[in-house]
Amino acid sequence: MKARIIAAVALAAALSVVVSTASGGNNSAGKASASSVTVWLMSDAQNGWPTAVSHATSQFQAQHPGVNVNVQYQSWDSVLQKFDASIAAGDTPDVIELGNSQTAKYMAAGAFQAIKPKNYPNSSTWLGGLKQSCSYGGKTYCVPYYAGARAVIYRKDLYRSVGFKRAPKTYAQFMSVGKKLKKKYGKNPNFSALYEPGQNWYVALSYVADYGGQIAVKKGSKWQGTLNTPQAIKGLTAFKSMTLALSRASKTNDEAHPYPSIPFAKGRAAAFIGNGWEWPYVFNPKGGAAPASFAKKMGAYPMPSHIRGRYLPTFLGGSDVGIPVQSKNKSLAADWIKAYTGTASETIIAKAGNIANSTTLLGVNAKNPALAPFARAATYSWFVPSAPNWVNVESANILKTMCSKILTNHASVAKAAGNTSSQITKILNAKS
Amino acid sequence: MSSRSPVAAASVAAPFPRRRRPLGRRLRRASAPYVLLLPASAVIAAVLAYPLYYLVRLSFQHYGLFQLVRHKGEAVGTANYAQIFHDSLFWHTLLRTVAVTAVCVVLTVVLATLIALLLAELSSWVRLLLTAGLIFVWATPVVVAVSIWSWMIDFEFGVANWTLTKLGVGNFNHHDWLANPWSGWGVIISLIVWGAIPFVAITLYAGLTQVSGDLLEAAAIDGASRWRAFRDITLPLLKPIYLIVISLSIIWDFQVFNQIWLITNGAPSPDYYMMAVYSYVSAFKISEYGLGSAIAVVMVAIMALISVFYIRQMVRLGDVE
Repeated sequence: MKARIIAAVALAAALSVVVSTASGGNNSAGKASASSVTVWLMSDAQNGWPTAVSHATSQFQAQHPGVNVNVQYQSWDSVLQKFDASIAAGDTPDVIELGNSQTAKYMAAGAFQAIKPKNYPNSSTWLGGLKQSCSYGGKTYCVPYYAGARAVIYRKDLYRSVGFKRAPKTYAQFMSVGKKLKKKYGKNPNFSALYEPGQNWYVALSYVADYGGQIAVKKGSKWQGTLNTPQAIKGLTAFKSMTLALSRASKTNDEAHPYPSIPFAKGRAAAFIGNGWEWPYVFNPKGGAAPASFAKKMGAYPMPSHIRGRYLPTFLGGSDVGIPVQSKNKSLAADWIKAYTGTASETIIAKAGNIANSTTLLGVNAKNPALAPFARAATYSWFVPSAPNWVNVESANILKTMCSKILTNHASVAKAAGNTSSQITKILNAKS
Repeated sequence: MSSRSPVAAASVAAPFPRRRRPLGRRLRRASAPYVLLLPASAVIAAVLAYPLYYLVRLSFQHYGLFQLVRHKGEAVGTANYAQIFHDSLFWHTLLRTVAVTAVCVVLTVVLATLIALLLAELSSWVRLLLTAGLIFVWATPVVVAVSIWSWMIDFEFGVANWTLTKLGVGNFNHHDWLANPWSGWGVIISLIVWGAIPFVAITLYAGLTQVSGDLLEAAAIDGASRWRAFRDITLPLLKPIYLIVISLSIIWDFQVFNQIWLITNGAPSPDYYMMAVYSYVSAFKISEYGLGSAIAVVMVAIMALISVFYIRQMVRLGDVE
């Protein structure tokens, strides 16, 4: 029967794909050799301050002629899996950047080489918050890199067109300008008064902090998720009504899909909540390529709190750089880090819109009116729980899922927060 | 072939000193098929058996980041299995996986059959056009296909929302297809079925061309309706092909990963978990490699059961002939 022959051919054709399943991907960090150092940095550096990287590399190469520096840019949503895969393969990069909410798990697992802070530039004046994210069990495992605070980046001309000559000072003003903008320009179905991607959980949790809520607290030796408390629920409810009133961004995507700077640069948003470096990124071809005329029209202000005279607490995000324990070029790696986190490179990083790693460099942006609002925003801030497992909460997208459920009315705020809270309790207490 | 018996006979009859070489030759001949199978077996052992063994071993260990750094797991017996079997998320995911697989396979096979029947009726150049279209779909890499679909259902600028709004179906401006899991699964299932139809349709069409026109003509003369002829003549003749494509579709759809992962930007909510996604999140996202392996082992076990059924059917078909 020919049908059987056809069936056999079909089977053979199919077998070539039948075994393919999910895999972590094979991301070799590159061959380790004394003549090269492999550095993993987040793409933020590539987008925001590439000159700081090249400056550090040339400084490093002046000291080590002929040593190649291989900088590979990573994205936040996949860097940890790639790093884990490189650990499994015993082929890690020599230097890696991790977010300050990600370091705890890796320090606890012994993935980083301990360092002596006094060998690094400006170590006596490192920012306290970042320094803490590099300490575990009395030792230091990484070097503070930069910190950032978020503020509202807005179009002054549009605000003025609805009668706001100055940035809003109170939450009521903030909501009122937003609603007026939406009334005036809302005919364009894609216009947002504030472009707020639904899964931007940093903003959602800023509201939780503003209403006195917390993500989790430690009771004895156990962690307890606390997003189900009345304060947290109040905050999430306020987040929901603000987002639904002002934003037309997707509720099931995060702030990297697309970058909020893109709709802003294209004129489809009057404002968005972003880091300092996202201001210049608006003009970057990848960030939306805004016309040069935008430069005069743009401003920033710290987002007001519902409590008069305060700001909405901002996530005090930041990054550290460390040396994986499996690196075969530890001393070269240390020298590159010294160059990259030294005063010269850090000054470039600060000018790009960040808070440098040392208190001695805090003055760099004091006279820059564009960046001052970000520094002011940082006066009220919040941070994630200090549990080693915290990053698993981020990686499992639990908070993004919660935001989507709340904003799409898929679950009530109380129910979504309750579920999320118990998931957080479970993850933070899991054996690591 | 024909030279075998004389050689064998000679070696038996030959005196002792002369027996050695023929025996060696005989052994060589007897072992030749096995020697020829060796490279393939080695490859299969390296790329399938060893990883599978390692997976099963991992599933009995606590293997987190701490263990990963040291390249050494910690034996915990069946604790990982106990944990997943007591986790409602696991059962929900399993149930969803079975349901989605069933829907995908039924849709794929029914639609592909209709297309195959259509192909048989078409004039040759339209058939060529349609076949080329099918081949293009089959040849599109999943990543590219998902990107295209993502754009089509895009929240702000998607052509799906635009078309539906223009057609007056309703106001689909800013309709978020993934916000509601039902419509989200509608999109994902369409995407999977769309990608799976070409192979099944072309295979079935190949089968249809082998169904003798005489049989169908005879049936028509006897007064059978076209549906009756399809049910009682075409379908039984195509049974072996159907068995193959259905079994393969089950195996493919059961382990679907890319479509879900990519369309949710790598951040699927648990409403979008299938077994493969759940296993990946457990292992690679929260560094519970032991737990992720246990989920994968359960998945492999279920697939093995399906395969046993399928192989039995194949053997039976062979016997009948």
